[in-house]
Parts: sequence; C-alpha cells; structure tokens
Amino acid sequence: MNDHEPNETHLNEARLTEVRLPDLGEVDEVTIIAWLKEEGKPLKSGEDLVEVETEKTTFVIDAPRDGRLKRIVKKEGEKAYPNDLLAEIE
Amino acid sequence: MTSWLKSSETITEALHLPLGHAEYVATHRLQERLHRLRCQNEIPDTILTVEHDPVFTIGRSGSAKNILVPEQVLNDAGISVHRIERGGDITYHGPGQLVVYPIVDLRVHGRDLKRYVSNLEQAVINFLEKIGVEARRRAGFPGVWVDSRKIASVGVYVKHWVTRHGLALNVDIDKGHFSMINPCGLDIEVLSLADLVPECPSMEEAATGLLTELGTLCSWHLTVGDPQKYRGERYV
Repeated sequence: MNDHEPNETHLNEARLTEVRLPDLGEVDEVTIIAWLKEEGKPLKSGEDLVEVETEKTTFVIDAPRDGRLKRIVKKEGEKAYPNDLLAEIE
Repeated sequence: MTSWLKSSETITEALHLPLGHAEYVATHRLQERLHRLRCQNEIPDTILTVEHDPVFTIGRSGSAKNILVPEQVLNDAGISVHRIERGGDITYHGPGQLVVYPIVDLRVHGRDLKRYVSNLEQAVINFLEKIGVEARRRAGFPGVWVDSRKIASVGVYVKHWVTRHGLALNVDIDKGHFSMINPCGLDIEVLSLADLVPECPSMEEAATGLLTELGTLCSWHLTVGDPQKYRGERYV
C-alpha cells in the first residue's frame, strides 16, 4: 500500500529514489519522530520507514519501493515541511 | 462548521461498536485488528466507544517524567502505564471518561490530518453546545477547552492513511488520578462535564450524542454493530 509517488533520478547508473514529505493537507510542518530503518539497511516496498508528528498526530511514511536506505536527510527531532527531502533509497 | 467532506455530499456507511467497559490492552489489540481490516477495505469506517480502567498512556513525543508520583503510588491506585504509538505526550483514561477510537480511511475523507483532528474537536464542541456548555479550541493547544480548563484530549495515529486512537471526553472522572501527571506535558487543569451541568449525561448518552455530531461532520450513516463479531478468539 504505497501512496507516495517516488521521484527517481539517475546518477552514475545508480537508481535513486527520493523520499519526500507527502502532502498531508493543511499541515505546515512536522517533526521527525523516529526512523524505523537504519541507513544502509535493505527495505521492502510498503514497510514502515519513518514516523512524523503534527497536531498530536503520528503519521507513518512507508518505503516507496524495494531497495536500500542510502541516506537519511532529516534527522530525528528536526522539522520538515511539505515536499522536503527526507531520505534517499537506492 | 468544518468538514473534510465539504466538497462532497456523499454519505458513507460507518459502524459504531460500543464496547462499554473494556480493558486498555485488549482494546488496543482490537484497534490494531480493525485498522488492518480497514486498510484491506474489509470493513467500513468503524468507531469504537469505550470506558477504560485507570491507565496512563504516553504518546510518541511523551515522557515518563510527566508522571508526578512514585511507581508505588500508581501500583496502589491500580494504574498501569502504556507507551503507545499515537501522537502527543501523556494522558489519562479511566472510569467516567468517554474514549472514542475512530478507525477511518482518510483517503476517502480528503487526506488532511489537521482537518481530521479539527473535526474530532468540533464534534465535542457541537455536542457540548447542545447540552448548554460553551467550549472552544485554543490555538497551539490541541483538545477542547472550557475557559482555561481541558475537557477533551485528542491523539491520533495514521498508517496507510487509516487512523486509530482518537479522543477522550471527561464526563465524570476521578480528577485525583489526573493530578498524578502533567497532562499532555503541560501544567493544566482538567474538568468534567459533571462539573458544568446539573444533570450529567450517562456514558451511553454522551457516546450517542458525540457520535451523532461526529457522524454529521464526516457524512456517515452510522449503524450500531456487535463488537463480539470483530474481537477474535484471543480477545480477553
């Protein structure tokens, strides 16, 4: 069950997928609460990836595809805004 | 009045499962089960109403530091503590408090977290207005307030755009239990409906009244169902 359209870029033949904060409606900002996967670890499409919180609501963002969590861009405790880059998957 | 179905007049079927008095952990398992079924579109939007034994629950951004009494005091009072996945800090559930857990697919309700929470609050405000109590939101402090005192709390978890957890309205609670914590991590005062109206509604009346308002905001056609059908064999 994947609601997020992955953004793909091609860099040195490696297929990178950007994980961005999805449109959550009238939400202005969220706080990154917890990464549920570590950098470098493999991922399956639809697996829980990161929890963000806003307005007393925890929202779980899932992995957009199979791959490996290459880089976490927004760390736990940081604020994020709609369409911000949160992580990269390869 | 805000509604996340403002752009659509579509009425959708929804199920109300009144649990009466039910233990916290078992109810949490039931929420997880219903959440799974809602994600698979095997059930409609489903709303649990329940009254719990005394518990403190700590949300994702919460801290046990907001429990103000030693563990022994909690044990003596029969209060258990649970770390859970909803947003927010610490709160209390117990006898005399109406807890509402809507298991709702927000993909059919506008995919808007802020408006969903706002509608939970608005349902409480509308219900209280019907029984002569003026309540409001406070900017930056989610929940429902009567003057500077809190009468209802919200805390939600959303996965695959389907919600669980929800709201808690103090109908006639033991405020001594609340005094053992800093609710929501804030130094605030709480109150009950019983403090405000001469004839306090029963828990059943409060559940019916509140769900009527929430149903209007969500354009639900509500049917009361039998919780036993959804509990599963391991439900205690």
